[in-house]
Amino acid sequence: MSKTKPGSTATVERLPKPRPGRRAFLGGVALGGVAAFTGARGARGASRTEIAFASAKFFGKETVAQVVGMYNASQSRVHVTYIELPPPSASTEVHQLLVQQLARQSGSPDVFTQDVIWIAEFAGAGWALPLDQEFGADVRKQYFPGVIQACTWGGKLTALPWFIDSGMLYYRTDLLGSAAVPETWDELVALAQAAEKSGRARFGFLWQGKQAEVLVCDLVEFVASNGGAILGPDGRTVMIDDDKSVQAVQFMRDTIDRYKISPQDVLSWDEEPSRRPFTGGQAMFLRNWSYVYTIAQDPKASSVVGKVGVAPLPHFPGGRSAACLGGYQYGVNASTKNRDAAIDFVRWMSSPATQLHFATELGLAPTRPDVFDDPKLAQSQPFMQKLKPVFLGATPRPVTPKYAQVTLVLQSSVSRALADGNVKQALSGAKERIAAIVAS
Amino acid sequence: MTRPAAIGDTLRRAAPSLAAVRRRRADWAPLLLLLPTTISLGSVSVYPILDGLWLSLHNTTLATREDRFVGWLNYRLLATDPDFWSAWRHTLEFTAISTLAETAIGLGMALLLVERFTGRGLVRAAMLIPWAMPTVVTSKMFGWLFDGQNGLVNWVLRSLHLIGGNIDWYGSPNTALGTIIFVDVWKTTPFMALLLLAGLQTIPHSLHEAARIDGAGAWQTFWHVRLPMLVPILLIAAMFRALDAFRIFDLVYVLTGGGPADSTEVLSTLTYKTLFSALEFGYGSALSTAMFATEALIALCFGVLIVRGMRRQGR
Repeated sequence: MSKTKPGSTATVERLPKPRPGRRAFLGGVALGGVAAFTGARGARGASRTEIAFASAKFFGKETVAQVVGMYNASQSRVHVTYIELPPPSASTEVHQLLVQQLARQSGSPDVFTQDVIWIAEFAGAGWALPLDQEFGADVRKQYFPGVIQACTWGGKLTALPWFIDSGMLYYRTDLLGSAAVPETWDELVALAQAAEKSGRARFGFLWQGKQAEVLVCDLVEFVASNGGAILGPDGRTVMIDDDKSVQAVQFMRDTIDRYKISPQDVLSWDEEPSRRPFTGGQAMFLRNWSYVYTIAQDPKASSVVGKVGVAPLPHFPGGRSAACLGGYQYGVNASTKNRDAAIDFVRWMSSPATQLHFATELGLAPTRPDVFDDPKLAQSQPFMQKLKPVFLGATPRPVTPKYAQVTLVLQSSVSRALADGNVKQALSGAKERIAAIVAS
Repeated sequence: MTRPAAIGDTLRRAAPSLAAVRRRRADWAPLLLLLPTTISLGSVSVYPILDGLWLSLHNTTLATREDRFVGWLNYRLLATDPDFWSAWRHTLEFTAISTLAETAIGLGMALLLVERFTGRGLVRAAMLIPWAMPTVVTSKMFGWLFDGQNGLVNWVLRSLHLIGGNIDWYGSPNTALGTIIFVDVWKTTPFMALLLLAGLQTIPHSLHEAARIDGAGAWQTFWHVRLPMLVPILLIAAMFRALDAFRIFDLVYVLTGGGPADSTEVLSTLTYKTLFSALEFGYGSALSTAMFATEALIALCFGVLIVRGMRRQGR
């Protein structure tokens, strides 16, 4: 018999306080999850049309995601979710990811960005929505004609212009001195050889000859500046082994072999490895895209700050300067379920105000000639204003839905021609294979 | 026959078949238990291979939305495609040279590291660094080292007066593949050394002592004692390496992209370009099936050698 101490309250046998069981815990988590989910949705308020926008990664002082955020904040009808793809330097990966999404034809992404060379391919595959109805002739007049031409396939506009880039000639103003900027390739050769001989430049002329897409860009510039072409305007006549084209490729080979103004290393160099010797002060002329100028003026990355000039590329006698057209453009998914929302978004992104914003904050040149004349652009990107004449001469790469296969053949054949010097033989082989591809 | 005995006989005669039935039912149980694993593994490894085979019998091209059954057409085109055969030759060249080099150098490294010396632990850890670095980082690093104009390798060779002028390592069709092989050997020899080191450590020390007592020198110990015992591990390691080397992709893709003049195009890069650049899924599947067939052949050859080696050792 237990004795209780006098004066103490009797201790009552209490059952242990029930601890929250496992079931209660899981139930709480589930409820919390549901609440969070519905709560988040509720916070967005009234139903906005949700669309997805997949874009290659670009950045400058701002990112594409921030521009998309501007659109979302500017109106309450549409909400855009931004899907970031790899940067354009990894363009095969961007292409692969886009194709994987578009081939499923599930409606996502509603809006996407396409490199200029994929427009015909996506249009031919039926993945891009024709935009002629929403963007009539009066709208199309507001853009550069070369870009609109590149955005059209089969007579239908399947892409809306975003930004433009093209190849251009960079030169050292200090090495050029009082001489005129070369307008023909022969003038460039003479100046480059003189600079090399005097020892002021280690390399006369740098360009990109690596067996990659950039080789086709360089090829287009040389060939078109001689009045030649790779593919005829009908998209079926192969002209790569015509005399003018053969001459142009022979000149490419001669810069290494005969004139010795380019090192053989250009055959393994693409944009960055060829840019570095130039901004390191070792070369006199460089063919490259517009991004080089900003780097050349950055004292942390360049030894030639303030000594770099830009001009249209030279041409052959009787030809015209040709710049290879580059840049990404907008496309609307043909299977999109939110067509009006997608068109609204694309219209806003391609408007003059947004193009100006892209130009000043991300360094992406506008595709509207009027935006080039805006004083705000002159203030923040004076260099870009000077590029208008270069962009007006932009030449597209061969426009065909089979471009992906055509470019692989071109890369292989031209690389072979440049490596062993049998230009005519390599280009004839290319003509046969390309003819087989575009005929089927 | 007494009735109980008859019953007993009948029961005994029935007993074996009852046991057999119970045995057969028991045989099913483990198979049923393995079924979920088999299905999940099969669906991610066997099914894609069979699907690829099926796809290779069509002319599926994403960009033109073609998708017809064409039978063996893709394989007939493959047999006459010069790009395929040159990529096949480059891949075999790469596999053979890199596997041989890595096995030889790896064996040398393993022989050094099996001996006792101060700092052996540190050296063993340090030797793994090339293999542990991500391949993309290695590619970029060697891209700069072997740069034709401003690379370190050219500068060192010129300073030692071993070459007269700069060599264009990646831009010349003669040297590009060799440079890539060099980079791969640098990267993967530690892996081989590790495997061979493990093999060397299984050789009983008593054999060395016996050889030494018999008056054998270092080379004789190696040639007559260590090497014969090492043969199975050597073959297995070489087989691993050869099958991996055959599938080389990232080094080539980052360093040269297949150029110049297709001189470094290997089967993986060709298949990637065909599948994801040109979007020819039918032809690309035929390419990958051809790769699969060649790799199966290589594995078979090694397998035969390994089995023979093991039989000779009496295992």
